[in-house]
Amino acid sequence: MAISSLAQAQDLLDILEKEGSDTPKYTTATFKFSRISFGHSVETRKNGTLDVFVATRFWNTPADRSQSFFAERLSSRIALEYGISDRLLIGFGGTTFDGRFDGFLKYKLLRQREDEQGAGFSMSLLQNASYFSEGLASNGFDATASNRTSFTTQLLIAKKFSRRLSLQLAPTFVHRGLVYQESDAQSHFALGVGGRFRLGSHVFLVSEYYYVANPIESVDTFGPFSIGVNWELSDVMLQFMVTNAVSMVEDAFITDTRNNFNFKAPNLNFGFHFTYTFHLKKAVKIPDQ
Amino acid sequence: MNKLLLILFLPIMLVRAQSDKVIARQGQVSFFSYTSVEHIKAQNNQVLSVVDLSSNEIAVRMLMNAFVFEKALMRDHFNESYIESDIYPEGIFEGKILDFDSAVSDSQTRLIKGVFSMHGVQQELEIKTKIEQQNDTFILSGTFQVLVQDYNINIPPLLAGNIAKTITVDFRFEYEPYEN
Repeated sequence: MAISSLAQAQDLLDILEKEGSDTPKYTTATFKFSRISFGHSVETRKNGTLDVFVATRFWNTPADRSQSFFAERLSSRIALEYGISDRLLIGFGGTTFDGRFDGFLKYKLLRQREDEQGAGFSMSLLQNASYFSEGLASNGFDATASNRTSFTTQLLIAKKFSRRLSLQLAPTFVHRGLVYQESDAQSHFALGVGGRFRLGSHVFLVSEYYYVANPIESVDTFGPFSIGVNWELSDVMLQFMVTNAVSMVEDAFITDTRNNFNFKAPNLNFGFHFTYTFHLKKAVKIPDQ
Repeated sequence: MNKLLLILFLPIMLVRAQSDKVIARQGQVSFFSYTSVEHIKAQNNQVLSVVDLSSNEIAVRMLMNAFVFEKALMRDHFNESYIESDIYPEGIFEGKILDFDSAVSDSQTRLIKGVFSMHGVQQELEIKTKIEQQNDTFILSGTFQVLVQDYNINIPPLLAGNIAKTITVDFRFEYEPYEN
């Protein structure tokens, strides 16, 4: 009797298995945030979410004696980023230290699928524009507004290999507005690599590096590198990192990072990003009980 | 005329007699977590359920990633960090409706006893269920409560205040005859 009833229940489950809908299963949360550490991840945000994004860098100058509290230098980028749709993210920000104002659009072109069909990876397109507003010491520059504006285009290609590991490749094209010397290239090609590794249910180890194929010649520049931890707490995303990238805007940190990564001042930057997410729209309206 | 009607309806009656299973393809399951800090609501409108009217066995299958939340990001958090739907993609209930007589057309309240598997944990549940019958349709609905800690779900201490210890679950299934 017990066996037949068990078999019966199995029949019912078989029916439900068969009925299982054919809706495609998309991989979710390749990354948990629109950034890996300092650079963009393949992720966009959900429709109607507004991220208030505050990114800071702290670093020291090489001076022997220092009277500054905590750190010698501080730069912050404050930005608002809004999910126009589940696939389209728009953002505007301003940075205090280097006076850059930037805006970007990111569109998710492809979503990785879990069910062995369709794309095996996710892909997004990022277009960023940034305006350099600081005064220029030398008058050798033709500093019209159009010359102060730089553009970055990135194709972000990422794959979630397992629940622990996601990796991303980011072929990047940067068109710089200001060039220091005529011999310097105005357009640069770069390749970013980044990834996340899950440490706990809410904590991820993240790292990024950008290789620039044709770097600026007139000054020494280095590929920006970062390693850090992302800690997600409900509506808050906290990012902690150490990096050599001072700027928080793509064109500047990819092509114009002046120090290599090591633990000496002023090369070492401590980065802290705080993001609070407001939900301006309800994804669905669920009636109270 | 009567004979003609009989001939017309006989095959239908036979099918009815053969298949005494009914199925709900768009069952609704919602859950609610109310705390002083935050109210969390989620709903799944694609829950599958089938009832065998001859044995009163019931089975329910729901995909965890089909739950939608009022706050969009919660869906990511729910799947990625709490219910871990990549490892445990579905919740399954198998049980039996006690003392249920499908011939009674009045609304009746019955106990459903069974085992609910979610997040790799199996728990015995007893759920008080209202059963209504309209023509060919059975409607099962009810409310019950589950304890978060029963399902081995890890909530970081910092967020313990945001998530209720007891989650209220609402369900409503409309069944139609199942044909193979």
